[in-house]
Amino acid sequence: MMKLEAIIQPSRFESVKGALLEIGIEGMTVTEVRGHGRQKGHTEVYRGREYTVDLLPKIKLELVLPDKLVDKVVDTILKTAKTGKIGDGKIFLTRVDEAIRIRNEERGENALQ
Amino acid sequence: MNFGARPSLDRSSHAKNGPQHGFTASVHGTVTPPFNPMSALGPQAEAERQRIREQFDGGTGARETLQALCEMADRNIQRVLGELQHARGTEPQGLCLLALGGYGRKLLFPYSDLDILFLFGNEKAERDFRPLIAEFSKTLWDAGFRVSSAGRTLEECKRIEEDNAEFHLALLDRRFLAGDQELFERLDSKVLPGPERQARPFLIAQLRKLTGERLTRYGNTIFHLEPNVKESPGGLRDYQAASWMRQISGEKREAWSSTAAEEELTGNAVDFLSAIRCFLHYANERNDNTLTYELQAAAAQRALGLPQNAGLDAVRSAAEWMRVYFRQARTLNRQLLRYMEQRAPAQQSLRQRIFNAARVPKVEAGNNKAFAVRDGLLEINDQLALADRTVLYALFAEAARTGVPLSRETERTITYVMLHPELPARNAPLPWKAFQEILASDFPGVGLRPMQRLGLLTDILPEFTAIDSLVVRDFYHRYTVDEHTLRTIEHLQELANPPDPRGTNYASLWKTVERRDLLVLSLLLHDVGKGMPVENHVTGSLTALESAAARLQLTADEKAEVHFLIERHLEMSATVQRRDIFDPATVSGFAAVVQAPERLQRLCLLTYADIHAVNPEALTPWKAEMLWQLFVATSNHFSRTLDRDRLHALDEAPVLQQIRTLTGAASTEAIERFLEGFPRRYLAVHSAAETASHFALYQKLDGDPVQTQLIATQHAFSLTLLTADRPALFATIAGVLAGWGMNIVKADAFGNAAGVVLDTFHFTDLHHTLELNPSEVERFRKSLTDVVRGKASLETLLKSREQTSRQRAPKVEVATRISFDDTSSMHSTLLEIVTQDHPGLLHEIGSGLARLGCNIEVALVDTEGQKAIDVFYLTALNKKLSAQKQETLRELLQGTLG
Repeated sequence: MMKLEAIIQPSRFESVKGALLEIGIEGMTVTEVRGHGRQKGHTEVYRGREYTVDLLPKIKLELVLPDKLVDKVVDTILKTAKTGKIGDGKIFLTRVDEAIRIRNEERGENALQ
Repeated sequence: MNFGARPSLDRSSHAKNGPQHGFTASVHGTVTPPFNPMSALGPQAEAERQRIREQFDGGTGARETLQALCEMADRNIQRVLGELQHARGTEPQGLCLLALGGYGRKLLFPYSDLDILFLFGNEKAERDFRPLIAEFSKTLWDAGFRVSSAGRTLEECKRIEEDNAEFHLALLDRRFLAGDQELFERLDSKVLPGPERQARPFLIAQLRKLTGERLTRYGNTIFHLEPNVKESPGGLRDYQAASWMRQISGEKREAWSSTAAEEELTGNAVDFLSAIRCFLHYANERNDNTLTYELQAAAAQRALGLPQNAGLDAVRSAAEWMRVYFRQARTLNRQLLRYMEQRAPAQQSLRQRIFNAARVPKVEAGNNKAFAVRDGLLEINDQLALADRTVLYALFAEAARTGVPLSRETERTITYVMLHPELPARNAPLPWKAFQEILASDFPGVGLRPMQRLGLLTDILPEFTAIDSLVVRDFYHRYTVDEHTLRTIEHLQELANPPDPRGTNYASLWKTVERRDLLVLSLLLHDVGKGMPVENHVTGSLTALESAAARLQLTADEKAEVHFLIERHLEMSATVQRRDIFDPATVSGFAAVVQAPERLQRLCLLTYADIHAVNPEALTPWKAEMLWQLFVATSNHFSRTLDRDRLHALDEAPVLQQIRTLTGAASTEAIERFLEGFPRRYLAVHSAAETASHFALYQKLDGDPVQTQLIATQHAFSLTLLTADRPALFATIAGVLAGWGMNIVKADAFGNAAGVVLDTFHFTDLHHTLELNPSEVERFRKSLTDVVRGKASLETLLKSREQTSRQRAPKVEVATRISFDDTSSMHSTLLEIVTQDHPGLLHEIGSGLARLGCNIEVALVDTEGQKAIDVFYLTALNKKLSAQKQETLRELLQGTLG
């Protein structure tokens, strides 16, 4: 099992979610986050005041996937989240040792379904 | 009921989760043999429970069901205690059992705990009875009773435990159950009355605190989509708290009493909610009081809590049945809130009592003698006057203007007057102007909320009935549609003093937004379609607008604005969530939809409020910031692209048609000549009627080259001046206004392709010169046109003003910020100045610009409190300003403005 964390543009979230649903991925954890990589902040002046966004708004998706689905999900996110501009985000993958469904204590990949 | 921890818990308080089975052995070192004679108790109790449940399912009322459960528990407790005492050969003296809380009131719900107090005559009795109590608790637990118990000696009951108010409140409902009756009599008639009387202020204060915390936990509203019928506002706990308040106050005065009709309503509400709670316990098979969507449907299907002949078909839908629920919940909540408003009885010295007897309550005069502010609430002075709806609406307008709420007693009085057959309503239809006054106030929600509670809002806006107490199943929304709607308005009014950082940026928008009345009307109607049989609720809301606009007699422009805000109320939110707001194309596309900064401000506030009112967590700081960024970017887009987007009259057929209709015989060519080349903003900020009146002035230019129009609005004046462009024109007009002591709060200057300039100035009359001396209006106009034509000296006018005016120190210091932008416009250099506002400021700036040969192509002038925000599109010799000129201008302005 792998845990996938993807940081994406908020504007791409609906498309990514829709595309993941199409390939059968229904469950995910979504968090509104802020951050920046190479894409730095943004400053607007409004009525004499500077409004600086040092950390840009992003969406973080977290999914734990059976190994056989990882490549497909990564491809889907790459295709739908990409705009080609700086700030499109990143995908991180980490190995997961165990998953347990709290309701019935199912374990392993069965707990992911 | 949780009685809280007490220091001597190990001696006499028993855990809620059943008896401490090891209790006897660990304390005494001996093991009591199992108590076999009552082994049949469990099955018997279970059979009886089942019988009571079947009777409830068969239609027996909640009251009878609770009574039966209570009697069953009583019988079992008495039997177990009696058998145990008999088996141990002990006498009942020195121990008695009391029922407390709901059980004490004989309202025992199927899966509720049995709140029991073990009362001991003294500490020795407590020690002696310990093994018996342990066995008693175990036996009851095994028989399926959930006991939540506490133990006190008679002596301990004299002390008020300040950290355990819940226990003392529960004790108010004490009832003898079993054991030593004489001990109970001593407690009830000798031991408790004194301390309870003394503790009244403490108990009332604690009850208020606990109740306030509970109500806050549930957002202070009864209108939850899935309410908790015990704890939510309007739940049974409200009734219980109100009963305790009345009981503790010990007062007989009218404020604590209810009419027979009110008592009946309360009784019905308690029966209704009790039936639901019974139903929930049975359905969940545990003490879970949440009325979920699924159980709402099931309850509606069996017309739960309704009389047999209650027109069942009408309430079989969950939504209709929930409306009945909310009506009943409102009755209980209203009574509680009325009691909460009563002053807490405070212990007073003799001196204080004498002083207070002579003291008149603090009363501030209202705008009308029928009501006044008393102790921070609007109270009625003259009940009969309320039959005149003009007076009644003035009361709501006063609440909306000042933010001072109506007292619950005032609302009760209004209900009485409205229902009184001998007090028919006079002047019932509310004109738009009067409603507008409420909507445009600083605190519209403070006026609208009681209007809704009293049914007066639906008198004015019958369309609102569609969403009255309406539950729409939704994963995100927490409240009914009407509650969500009113919350949107309340979230805006709290921007006067934002309660958390999410609102900080938006506070200035709420303060300065134009046509607040239309914004609030849009909010009232934006979700009305959710209560209509339409696929898309926006379509329904727009249909509702049609009828509301016709009845309220909104002008075409007013209706169009509300139409836009309703139709597009999800646009900004969708843009924030689905588009890249840092992409200039997104911003310009969004700006094209919104069209004008004034409208942007309204839409932004509407979006902020709409998200905020979904549930307390819906407007995350993240979303608030994203929304703000889109607002700022779009606002800047508007001010930086004015001369990029010019009108081409031939492309504006609908506008031309409208103006032609309004002006009668005007030729299309003349209208086209007038409009050609104005910035598009001109049409966005002026209605067709205004454009037609400007065109009428334009047509008179041949006869008189300087045309003016002065219109008095509620708190300000609006001056429009049309003439051929000339150097320093803007500075000259600003100078005349300064010379007359006028304070410019907003201005814009547009020029068309033919070189005709249309300048509009909104100003306040600082010295009330025009307001108090109507004859001065004509002199003012003449003075203005004479100066513009060069027939009179501006310097003389300004000098006379300098002699009479004195500069006041600013309340808020605003640092001057001057910036140039050469990239936003193809033809002009943008100059943005943010500085301390003061009379004559615009004249100073305009004169500086004229002195350096700068031509103002477009100007946008605004103020925000004591901050002036001015944007000028400048050219010199028909070109952008050179870097050197910009630097010279910066130095000049910096020297002038500081």
